[in-house]
Amino acid sequence: MTFVINLGLALLGGPLLAGVVRKMVKARVHSRQGPPIIQPFYDLFKLLGKEDLESSPSLVLRYAPMVALAAILAAALLTPMGLRPPLGGYGDMIVFAYFITIAAVMIILAGLVSASPYSMMGAGREIMLHLAVEPVLIICLVIAAIKSGSLLMWDMAAWNYVHGLSINTPSMIIGGVALLLALQAQLGKIPFDIVEAETEIMGGPLIELSGPKLALFEWAFFARQIVYASVLAAIFIPWGTGFALPWNIAAHLLKITVIIVLVGLIDVVNPRLRVDQAMAYFFGVIVVALVGMVLALLGT
Amino acid sequence: MNAQQLGQNIEDRFGPDVIDWNVLGPDQLYVTITPESLVEVAEYLYQDQGCRYVINGGTDRRQQRDAFLITHFFAQDEEKIYIAVHTEVEADDPQVDSITPVVPAANWSERETRDMVGVVAVGHPDPRRLVLADDWPEDLYPLRTDVAHDIKPPPAEGVAPERLEPPEGASVVPIGPFFPVLEEPAYFRVFVEGEMVVGADYRGFYNHRGIEKLGCSVLTYNQIPFIAERICGICGYVHSCSYCQTVERAAGIEIPERAEYIRTIVLELERVQSHLLWLGIAAHIIGFDTVLMQTWRMREPLMWLCERITGNRKSYGMNLVGGVRRDIKPEIYDDIRSVIDKIGAEWQELAGAIPGDSTLMARVRGTGILTTETARGLGAAGPTARGSGLAIDVRVDHPYAAYDRLEVTKCVHDSCDNLARVLVRVEETLDAIKILHQALDDMPDGPIMAEIDEELPAGRQAMSAVEAPRGEVFHWVLTGTENRPERWRVRAPTYANLQNVPPMLAGNALADVPISIGSYDPCFSCTERMEVVDVNSGQVRVYTEEEFRAEYDQPGDE
Repeated sequence: MTFVINLGLALLGGPLLAGVVRKMVKARVHSRQGPPIIQPFYDLFKLLGKEDLESSPSLVLRYAPMVALAAILAAALLTPMGLRPPLGGYGDMIVFAYFITIAAVMIILAGLVSASPYSMMGAGREIMLHLAVEPVLIICLVIAAIKSGSLLMWDMAAWNYVHGLSINTPSMIIGGVALLLALQAQLGKIPFDIVEAETEIMGGPLIELSGPKLALFEWAFFARQIVYASVLAAIFIPWGTGFALPWNIAAHLLKITVIIVLVGLIDVVNPRLRVDQAMAYFFGVIVVALVGMVLALLGT
Repeated sequence: MNAQQLGQNIEDRFGPDVIDWNVLGPDQLYVTITPESLVEVAEYLYQDQGCRYVINGGTDRRQQRDAFLITHFFAQDEEKIYIAVHTEVEADDPQVDSITPVVPAANWSERETRDMVGVVAVGHPDPRRLVLADDWPEDLYPLRTDVAHDIKPPPAEGVAPERLEPPEGASVVPIGPFFPVLEEPAYFRVFVEGEMVVGADYRGFYNHRGIEKLGCSVLTYNQIPFIAERICGICGYVHSCSYCQTVERAAGIEIPERAEYIRTIVLELERVQSHLLWLGIAAHIIGFDTVLMQTWRMREPLMWLCERITGNRKSYGMNLVGGVRRDIKPEIYDDIRSVIDKIGAEWQELAGAIPGDSTLMARVRGTGILTTETARGLGAAGPTARGSGLAIDVRVDHPYAAYDRLEVTKCVHDSCDNLARVLVRVEETLDAIKILHQALDDMPDGPIMAEIDEELPAGRQAMSAVEAPRGEVFHWVLTGTENRPERWRVRAPTYANLQNVPPMLAGNALADVPISIGSYDPCFSCTERMEVVDVNSGQVRVYTEEEFRAEYDQPGDE
């Protein structure tokens, strides 16, 4: 059953929550009506139904979207979403980090083989951003691993539920804050939507993609939101993890909804940063996360 | 000093080279000089007299004088004078010395004159084609009187614009001809070293509609205002105003005072709507769509108001030579006040949030630097010039309509960056609302149209300018027979401002290029493509047609 919950949340909950943010947050701040909440599904299905064009005769471009979505779904199966993750016993945070990186590498490869100056630039920006943001996630997970004494993400969530967040464990609090600060970029939202930056580089790595290929990438991005939000919600916000079924799932849903709405809100009230400005910001966040890790090593 | 004295100074200095000079009113000077002295006179005006270069125009006068008339226009803003420097060039040897080496701002317009009239500027540093399409025949000059207005040369194959070579080691990133933030086709080739821009090249004029030709060949005096208004879709009213003022001036027509106030009010309403539109687009460029949505929401009641006043949301069609076509009824004065007051209050709130928004400030402060020297040298206009510390504003320097009776503030900032250009427009919008209030309060009663009984005399000329939202709009008319001008020359502000883009882009990150271009509020339809080159890797990632075909026309591997 946990397979169904995790995959369902990633595949269906991702687009649905994106639709909620567009309608309830973005459109409201814009003083607009906004599209229907299930618009992301209409968009995905429409794209999936279109002719599958090969913009360049490259195997990479053909399989990158599938591999990206598959990697995100595999990561979703390792992520606690209210319950013990279905593949939780088979893979730890290191496997998780690899899957996340595979998805990012697929975006970079798609950009590099597209042979457009914009996609090249987008790929270059993705490399820089990924190298700056990914360490934050890993350092935060290492903090939880040190505290819980386990590399399994479910053990980290369970440890934090049992011990709770308190002044006595500042390292977990710092880790949570650092992850929250990095989430905006991990989800590709403004002010860090630098990779796609429609008005600068016209969608960056995705510029040559259309139809089903674009749909799969878009779907992977929607699912990615759920995965990242779930890591933050399950491991660093322990409330609700120990509730009885179905309340633990409900609590998790509530938490990720709040996180994604918050991300959406930041998205609409900010302009986009330049890549060098974003890098400067993430060096700050990495320093914060490292402070957390040192505290964890010191036993607090 | 007035026009009379300046004319005398030029005659004293250049003696026999000055063939003739005369003045129109206190503020317009027309000098005819020999072709040999052109460069010296231009240098004298630009360097010694502190004049600003406006534009160059060429007129085919082979029928009347067996010559081409080349005219360089200058403005002396402190003394409130416009100067036209005429030179006659023999019809069988159509070339004249280029003044671009001494007056850099003449670069584009000398090329345009070569394209359109066929008078070559000898010694021009960059004599590439500017305006005409790449497949236009070499020896066909559209503005010559023996070329029909509707001529269609056969399209040619395999033509391409002459491109500037990127600096050693730089690569090219193309922006355009179609690009999300460019509302109209324009092709910039940006030369980059890594993410750093080191230069740029521009090719535009993809939408050249030959409006000047139409005005001098098929339209009549009173049809032109409507075409002139369609030069621009956002600030078209400035063109019809400027044109009408020019013809009125040439023919000596005094327009009723009420008409002057109505023109002023519509001009200022247009400025407010244009600045609101611009702020939205500028925010969209840096990904701040909330500001786009909110400014355009604020703008909408103003569009409805303009429709009530003029009958149209845009392209008002209000002007005729001699006055305006519709009166503003006193019943709607209060409605105008309430609409602009609401915009003023909301605008102030929005403007107040700008300095506190650190992300926004990070994008606009210190980016897109256009130095005061470059701005003056390349003849920047409007908010672009005022954001670089040049205190020029036609409304104050060369008052027209009712502006001499109203209090207008020049909004000037000297930080020369994108932020300065934002702040200039923010303040200007608030100032425009003040001007609107004054104009509504002071508006006199009376007729709105001057009686014109006689036909307009031929052979007269006048210049007139209007401060458009984007800068100075300049028109010159030489009256002709058959109820139409012999020559009508238009300069839109973006024509001057676009020439400032390449020097301004250099030294910026590529990510700042769109917002920097956007900060000019470019209006390509007024004026009429960008390529980015990587300098460090030395690769020009721009494919020739053959390479592109080779890459993409391969049969699929199925």
